[in-house]
Amino acid sequence: MSPRDPAADAEGLGRRRFLKTATAAGLSLALAPLRSAYGQGEPGAASGGEINIALVGVGAQGRVLMDAMLKIPGVRFAAVCDIWPYARTYGQRYLKKNGFEVRAYESHQDMLSKEKDLQAVVVACPDFWHAPITNDCLRAGHHVYCEKMMSNTIAGARSMVQTMKDTGKLLQIGHQRRSNPRYLVARNRLIRDARLLGRITAANGQWNRAVSADLGWPNHTAMTRELLARYGYGDMHQFRNWRWFKKYGGGPLSDLGAHQIDIFNWFFDTIPSTVIGSGGRDYYTGHEWLDNAMVIYEYHLPDGVARAFYQVQTTTSAGGGYFEQFMGTEGTLRMSENPKYTSIYREAAAPPWDDWVSRHYLAPQKAPAASDDDSSSANEKVDARETAELASYYLPVVLTKAIHQPHLENFFNAVRGKASLNCPADEAFKSEMAVFKAIEAVETRSLVTCNPSDFTA
Amino acid sequence: MTETPNSNRDCGPMLALLLLRVWLGVRAIATGIEKFSDSRTLQVPLLDAAGKPDSSGAVVEVTQKFYSLHSYHAIPDSMKDKFAQEPFLPAFLTAPYYGILGWALIALGIGVLLGIFTRASLFLMGLLYVSLTFGLILIKQDAGVSWLAIHVAMIAVALSLCRHNRFALTCS
Repeated sequence: MSPRDPAADAEGLGRRRFLKTATAAGLSLALAPLRSAYGQGEPGAASGGEINIALVGVGAQGRVLMDAMLKIPGVRFAAVCDIWPYARTYGQRYLKKNGFEVRAYESHQDMLSKEKDLQAVVVACPDFWHAPITNDCLRAGHHVYCEKMMSNTIAGARSMVQTMKDTGKLLQIGHQRRSNPRYLVARNRLIRDARLLGRITAANGQWNRAVSADLGWPNHTAMTRELLARYGYGDMHQFRNWRWFKKYGGGPLSDLGAHQIDIFNWFFDTIPSTVIGSGGRDYYTGHEWLDNAMVIYEYHLPDGVARAFYQVQTTTSAGGGYFEQFMGTEGTLRMSENPKYTSIYREAAAPPWDDWVSRHYLAPQKAPAASDDDSSSANEKVDARETAELASYYLPVVLTKAIHQPHLENFFNAVRGKASLNCPADEAFKSEMAVFKAIEAVETRSLVTCNPSDFTA
Repeated sequence: MTETPNSNRDCGPMLALLLLRVWLGVRAIATGIEKFSDSRTLQVPLLDAAGKPDSSGAVVEVTQKFYSLHSYHAIPDSMKDKFAQEPFLPAFLTAPYYGILGWALIALGIGVLLGIFTRASLFLMGLLYVSLTFGLILIKQDAGVSWLAIHVAMIAVALSLCRHNRFALTCS
C-alpha cells in the first residue's frame, strides 16, 4: 500500500503512469509471440522452478492464503506488506517459523521499489486498495493473485482488467470455487456433459450468518490517526470493520455473495439480463452497508429462462448453511464448499443415473438410520398435488486440500506457463458486475437491466 | 380301485428336509461370514469414460467391502452397548459368547448343509437362535424375536423330518 487516494488512482491514469503503461504494453506486444501456448507465463519460473512472491495484506484472508501457499511446493515468500505493524509482524514471524526470512513493508510502493526478485504478488487487503495495488504490481512486471471483490467500485475493477491487458501479466481473481475439483466435476460433467438436471429453470443460493460483534483490536496495537488517514481510513474501528463501510468495501452482497453469484454466472455460462432486490440496514446501527439482502436474477439460457434467487442474512444463521442450488426438470444440484451441504437429487420420472454412479461421479446417499420417530406416515403425501420424493445422491469427489489451495496452485502453474488461469480478471469482472447490479437493485429498490456492454471491461 | 401304499416311495418329506437344510445352512454360514466383514474408504482418481483421469484432477472416495479375521465383530456395537446394561447378561458370559458366535454359526451351518450329524447340528443351531432370542427379548427387539422364532420353527420342522434325511455325510 502507498499513501495516496486509491479512488483517484482507479479513475484515471496520470501522464507518468500512462508512459509506464504504454511502455509495458509495447513490451508485452513485442514479447507476445515468444510466450507459451497458455500465454503470459514466467520464463524464470519454468516448470516447477521457485516463484518468489510477496503477500500484501496480512489480515484474516491474507493468513488463510498464506497457510494455503505454505503447502504449495516451489512458492518462496520474499516479503510481506501491511500498514498495520501488528499484522505485519505477525506475518513476518509466522513465515519465519515456516522457514522463510521475509522483509516487511508498510507501503506496497516501497516494497515494489526494493524487491527486485519478485515474480508474483498476492493481494489480500481491503477491497478499496485492490485496484491501486494490483495495478502497480502489474505495471512493475509482477503477476498478481488478487482476492475478490476486485474493487469496491466498477471503475476500479475495470482499471484492473485494463492493466492486465496492457501489461500482459497474469491477474487471477480469488473466486476459488472455479478451481475446486468438486465444482469442476459438478459443472463440467454432471450438468454439461451428462445433463443430469435436464433443463435448469431455477437456482438459489445463500450465505446466512448469525449476529456477531464488530471486530476489535488490542489497545497497544492501535495505529495513529495520521497513519490511518495516510492510507484512507477514518479510524481504527473502520479499519478493522472495513467490510461494513461503503468507502472501503461492498457489504455482505459483495463479501459473501460475490462467490456465489459468480457460481450462477459460471454454471449458466452467461450474464443475467435483469435483477431485482430488497434489503436494508435494519439491525446494525453502526454500519453503512445493508445487513440482509434478497435478490432475484433472470438469466436467458439456450433452453429458456432461469431465475436465480440469492440471499445473504447477517442477522440469522438459519436456513441450511451456505450453498448454491440449481434446479432442473430432471434433477437438482446443491453445491457448497462444505461437502456436508452438497447433495444431488433425481426426479422420480428422470432417466436413471446408474452409469454415473458406476463411474463414481455420484453415489447414493446412505439411508438414515431408522429411529423411533420414523413411521410410514412420515413419507406419505399430505397433499395430492405433491410430486413423488426425489432420490438423493452425494458427490464422492473429495478436496483433500485447503479450499483456496487449488486456485492458488492454478495461478502458480499459470505463472510457470503450465496452465491457463481459471479466473482471469476479465472473466471475474462479469461476475462482479452482476454483484454491483444487485447492490444497485437493492439500493434503488427497482428492476435493474444488465446490458451486456456493462459486463465488458 | 385300490390305492397302492406308496409311503416308502414318497420323496416329498426328503426333499422338504433337504430344502430346509440348504436354507438354514446357507443362512447360518452367510451370517457367520458377514461377521468377518468390514468396509474401507479409498481415495482414487476420478476416471472419464475412456478410463483416463478426469481433467479436473478430481479424487473420489470409493467404499470397498472386505473380509478379514481382524474385522470380526459378533454383533453391532450399538447392540453390544445395550446388552452390557442388562443384569442377566454379565460380561463373563457375553465375552466368550461373542467370541464363538460367528464361528459357531459357520460350523453349524456347514453341519446342517452337508448333513454332518444332522440332528445334533440342527438342535445346536436351534439352541443358538434361542440364546439370541433371549438377548433380544431383554432389549425389547420384538421384530428380531419374531424373526428368530421363524428360524426356530423351521429347525423344529427339519428335526421332525430327520428320518427322511438323505444326501448327508454322516448318519443323522
